[in-house]
Parts: sequence; C-alpha cells; structure tokens
Amino acid sequence: MTASDQDLVVETVREILAGHEPFVLTAERQWDEGLWTALAGAGLTGVGLPEESGGSGGELADAVAVVRTLAAGAGAVPVAEQLLVAGPALLAADLDLPSPEEPLTIAVDGAVTAEPSDDGDGPGRFVLTGTATDVPWAGVARHVAVLATPPAGIEGAVLAVVDTAGLGASRAVNLAGEPRGSLVLDGVGVPGALLSPAQVTRVRARYALARAVQLSAALEQVLAWTVQYAGERVQFGRPLGKFQAVQMELAQMAGEVTATTALVDAAVQALDRDEETVELAAAAAKVRAGEAVETVAKLAHQVHGAIGFTQEHRLHHLTRRCWSWRDEAGTESVWSRVLGAGLVADGGDDVWPTFTRVV
Amino acid sequence: MSNDQLTLAPAPPSEAAEQVRLEVRRFLAEELAAGSFTTHVDTWLSGVDPDFSRKLGARGWLGMTWPKEYGGHERSAMERYAVTEELLAAGAPVAAHWIADRQSGLALLRYGTEAQRKEILPRIAAGQCYFVIGMSEPDSGSDLASIRTRGTRNADGDFVVNGAKVWTSNAHHSHYGIVLVRTGPPGEGPRGKHQGLTQLVVDLSLPGITVNPIRILDGGHHFNEVVFDDVVVPGDMLLGEEGNGWHQVTAELAFERSGPERFLSTWPLLAEFGRRAAATGDPAQLAVLGRLSSRALALRQLSLRIAAALDRGELPDIPAALVKDMGTTFEQDVVDEVRRVVDVPASLDSPDPLGRALAEAQLHAPGYTLRGGTNEILKGIVARGLGLR
Repeated sequence: MTASDQDLVVETVREILAGHEPFVLTAERQWDEGLWTALAGAGLTGVGLPEESGGSGGELADAVAVVRTLAAGAGAVPVAEQLLVAGPALLAADLDLPSPEEPLTIAVDGAVTAEPSDDGDGPGRFVLTGTATDVPWAGVARHVAVLATPPAGIEGAVLAVVDTAGLGASRAVNLAGEPRGSLVLDGVGVPGALLSPAQVTRVRARYALARAVQLSAALEQVLAWTVQYAGERVQFGRPLGKFQAVQMELAQMAGEVTATTALVDAAVQALDRDEETVELAAAAAKVRAGEAVETVAKLAHQVHGAIGFTQEHRLHHLTRRCWSWRDEAGTESVWSRVLGAGLVADGGDDVWPTFTRVV
Repeated sequence: MSNDQLTLAPAPPSEAAEQVRLEVRRFLAEELAAGSFTTHVDTWLSGVDPDFSRKLGARGWLGMTWPKEYGGHERSAMERYAVTEELLAAGAPVAAHWIADRQSGLALLRYGTEAQRKEILPRIAAGQCYFVIGMSEPDSGSDLASIRTRGTRNADGDFVVNGAKVWTSNAHHSHYGIVLVRTGPPGEGPRGKHQGLTQLVVDLSLPGITVNPIRILDGGHHFNEVVFDDVVVPGDMLLGEEGNGWHQVTAELAFERSGPERFLSTWPLLAEFGRRAAATGDPAQLAVLGRLSSRALALRQLSLRIAAALDRGELPDIPAALVKDMGTTFEQDVVDEVRRVVDVPASLDSPDPLGRALAEAQLHAPGYTLRGGTNEILKGIVARGLGLR
C-alpha cells in the first residue's frame, strides 16, 4: 500500500468507528460485535496479513495504522491481537491462518502442555492440556494462538491454534472491562508447530509491541481531549488552558506522549527491518509507553476534574484501557529487566554500543 | 490532532552516519587507551581541551555540515549527530569547541558577512577558534529581552558596548562571543522589547573586556561574568541585521536545545552504573538500567527527528524546547534512580568510579534544567505549541 492508501484505510476505520461509540463493557456485552462485523466486512481485520493466506494484504505499517486508529477510538475488538501478534506468529510458524473475518487472539500465559499426537492426523498436531490464563478476548475470540510447554527435554514452545467453539472460558476482565479470562484445555487436539526459544521471544515481543502501539495512540488521544477540554472549560473567567499551572501539566503530558510515539514508531520500524532483533526494541517501547501512562492518565484526570472521573464522560474509555494495557503482555518491571539485561549481555563495558543498536 | 506542532517525521536511516560513528568510536577507544583523556560527566561544559578539539578538527568532525568553502565538510546533520553523541557518551573533553561548532558557526553561516565567514569559520572547523554565548545578564535570565547591555554607534560607525553578561561558559578559553545588545529603543506592546536588539561578534581580546570567574558547586571554573566597559566593536562585526537580534537568537535556539547533549550529560554515570549492574546481576539494578535506557532511547529518537528536520531546512523550535525539557529532566533523574539501587556514597574522592560519577553528576545537576532556557520557559513554549498561549 502507498501512503495515501494507508490514509484511506485509516479514514475508513474512522468512518466505521464513528458509527460505533465506545460503551461500558459488561458480562452481557463483552465486546463490540457490530464494530467487528463492520471492520471484517471492509477487509480491515486482515490488513497486513498476506492475501495468499487469506488476509487483505498491505504492510506492517498499514496494520499498525489500523490498530492505532482503533485504540484511539477505544474500539472493543481483538484487532491488535489478530493483526500484530497472533496472525503474524501463526504465519511465521507456517501454520494456517483462520479466516480473518473471525476474531483470533493470543495466549502466552498460564500452564498448558503440548504433547505431539499420533492419532493419524499426521505431524504438526498436538494435544493441549491445562489452563491458558489472561487470554485477551477469551470467550469472544473464535480462535486462540496458544503458546504451550513442549514435552520435557525439548526447548522452546509449541504454538498451537485452538478453535474455541465448545470450549469453556472463565470470565475475568481488565480495568477497562475487556475480557481477560482463562481457557481450559482438556486434551484438545489441535494443529501446532514447535518454536525455538528465539521464536518464542519474538512472539512475546510482538505482543508487547502491539500493546505499546495501542498505548501510544490512546495517549495521543487522551492528550488531544485534555487540551480541548482545557480550552473549553472556563473558571475564574478564563479557560483552564490559560492558567500557567495547567499549561505546565499539559506540556508535561505532551512531552510524555511525543517521546512515547517516537520510540514506538522506531520500534515498529525495527520490527519491519528485522524481526530477529525485535526483543529489546519492543521492551523499550513497552516500558516507555507504560511509564507515560502514569503521567498522562493522572494529569488528564486532574485537568478534566470531577466530570472526567465519571462514566458519563468519555475519558475513562481510554484511561482505563491505558492502565490495563501497560500491565498486559509484560509490565514495565518485566520488560525493563529484559532491556537492562540485554544492554549488558555483551559485558558491562558495551552498554552504549548496544544501546545505539536497539532501535 | 492537537500536537501537530510537536510531531516530526521519523529520521531516515543513514548508512553514512553509522560509518562515521564507528570511526569516532575507534578514535575514542584509541585516545582513551593512550590516556589522552579520561571519562567524565557533563564534559561539554567542563571538559576544555584545545588539543583534543584540534584532533577532532583534523579528522573533519567539526563544522561537519558547513560548506567546504568555509572549512566545512558538507555532511548531513545525521552524520554530525552520530559524531556528537559518540563524543558525549564517552565523556570526552569537547567543551572548548562545543558552542562554536553547535551554534555560533551556524549563526555566522546564516547571518554573517562573507568576510566574517571567511575569517572565522575555517578556524572553528579546525578546532582552533572557540565561542561563547552572550545572552544572559545579571538582571536578565529567563526574561532575555530585558537585557541592558547597550551598543551605541560612534562617529566611525563602530559599536561602543557597555554592560555585563553572565554564565558565560568558558569565556576565559574562548576567542569570540556572539553578544546580544540593545542598539535601539523597544517598541510598543508586550512584544515591543523584542525590537531594538542586535547581535555583535565580539573579539574577547578587545580592550575594555574583563572576564571574572564564577565557580560552580564543585569548585570548577566554567562560568564567567564578562564585563564590557566602553568596548569598541568594529561596525563590520555586526552579525546580520541591526535590530533583528531577537529573531536571530530565536533561530539559534533550535540548534542549541535539541542536540544529544540535552540528555547525555550524565550518560557516563549511566554507563558506569551499567558496569555495576552487569557485575552484580541484581534484577533491581537491571530494571533501573532498562527503565532509564528506554527513556533515553525515546529522547534519542526525538533528537534525531529534529536533526533530520534541521537537515530539511526546517526550524523546529517547539520540538527542540520539548526535547530539552524532557532530556534535562532525564539527566537529573539518572542520579536519583541510580542511587536508589546502589549503596555507593557520592564523592569526588571515592575509590569507586561509580561514586565519583555520582558526585560529578549530582554537583552539576542543577545546571541541566537551567542552561539554555529553564524548563519552566521550555514548558511554556510547548504550551504555545499546543495552542494554549
């Protein structure tokens, strides 16, 4: 796709989003099925996935543009998981991609074992047993790409594709009400592939980077809303934005947002250039984005005042997501240790040269 | 989007920059091994070493982006960026030439006369001619336009300068200053005092100039007060246009505020801390190393984007203010974060290099968020970029 094609894609996503306002997610209404159907109907749930595998074609940058737009619009659909994590992970493992019209998600946590099966279905089939936890969109996604522990003595992990039809999902939600339940796998036979430890690292890094992409877009939107509100809300006869104390807060938010976006963009480019070295780039992006949430969400609520602390106002759709996404796919604590260890992997004398190669 | 003024396109990858980066890295390793310098914190303020500056000049690493006819090397801002960040990361003594190479030379290129350029620029590029910034005064800090140093034309058309400049880094080692003086009356209205200001290229050896040292917290002599007592500055040393000083100063600021020295002043401390974390393997230390590095990586991307924008001929003063605000805050936070996870007292006499780096960084820390525009002023500029003022 060219840059203008990408603009067109983003415009289409925006138009669809305009007809699907964010709502408070509940047990009865766990996701925005109407939004998903509209996106899938327009081929937008296959962007960045190759046409020969059933996707809509386009580049990583196009998929990122779709994910960013949906994140900024608080779209309650598993598009980040499908386009940036599970879809590419399955393709990299030479596994068949389920139809992009049906939601696909990723499961990297919990205790699931994979045994190769000899049930006559041939190589590449495994029996999964155990519970996958913290599964984004559990109970909503039709398919789940599950990272499972291989038999003892084998390194890496098995990546398997589970059709969730008929499987039970226990309900749990993140701070924004998005489903993050568990999936019980009781000897389910599924197609899968053995991944090397390096390949497993890349799947986890992709997941972290996907959340960082969502965070950067959501934080940009939160900043925009807050600047807008500060320009409209009048107290003491002046808009809030005319008060120097408020200006300082907004400038600080802008700094966090701008820095996050610059690093996340660079990490996405690093992934595009060479997936094999994406771990430290993804780590840095996830840590930076997570850290930005602290300042941006806090100050956004401060500037919005009490109305922003209610479900009547739109702000919570994004701040609650930001507070959740920073924890998911590895907290700042986890990824900062990964980045720190990576920077001294060649010995403590090479921190700077390693640093200059991260993104 | 409300932050359009803050957002710049990503910097394009540059093979040439990576090439020169490795050359500089090799050079620095050799110099370190030969003992020609030792690593310190904040060396772009405190590390004056004319021999070292001349070595850089001889290798073509000063005046890199300038036209060849003025001693420059016509290389990209991205290549210059790679050179400067390698020097800073190594804590190399770059203070002598830093201001001249970073902004004074560019001001001369942009506004100087042909004679000024021919006379001065090749010497800067050779690492032989150093500049100071003549902006702040005893009664004019953040409120720069309130300066009182005057330049009055005499019968010969020369400027007779009276007044004083302060915080003039390394004036005692430098040859010239670009001095902002009032040559005409202010205009009407809140921005009226921006009128009547003029930049002069002042030879610091002129009669009537007195350089008085001002010591900073660690006792180091970098700052000065420079007093002008009926100093006769030749009329042909006017820089640019008389009365256009405010505009010219503002144009310098994008260069002054956006470079890697705005977040790498304390990198030598972080590098020393990295050695410690590698040795201990302490997860808490590795986490701090990772968290600080993620901030530095983001700042580096912002700074690179500005370098690329400068290459395109843009003047991104608002993003520059943002990167300096964020970057200098980071430089200070490095000290706080590191000392939370190591039990090493900061002391310039410490037998532990980490203790010495902590001491240097702490004693220089208050300056990071003051020099080149306080962070309060910078946030005000960012707020303007957000459309709030």
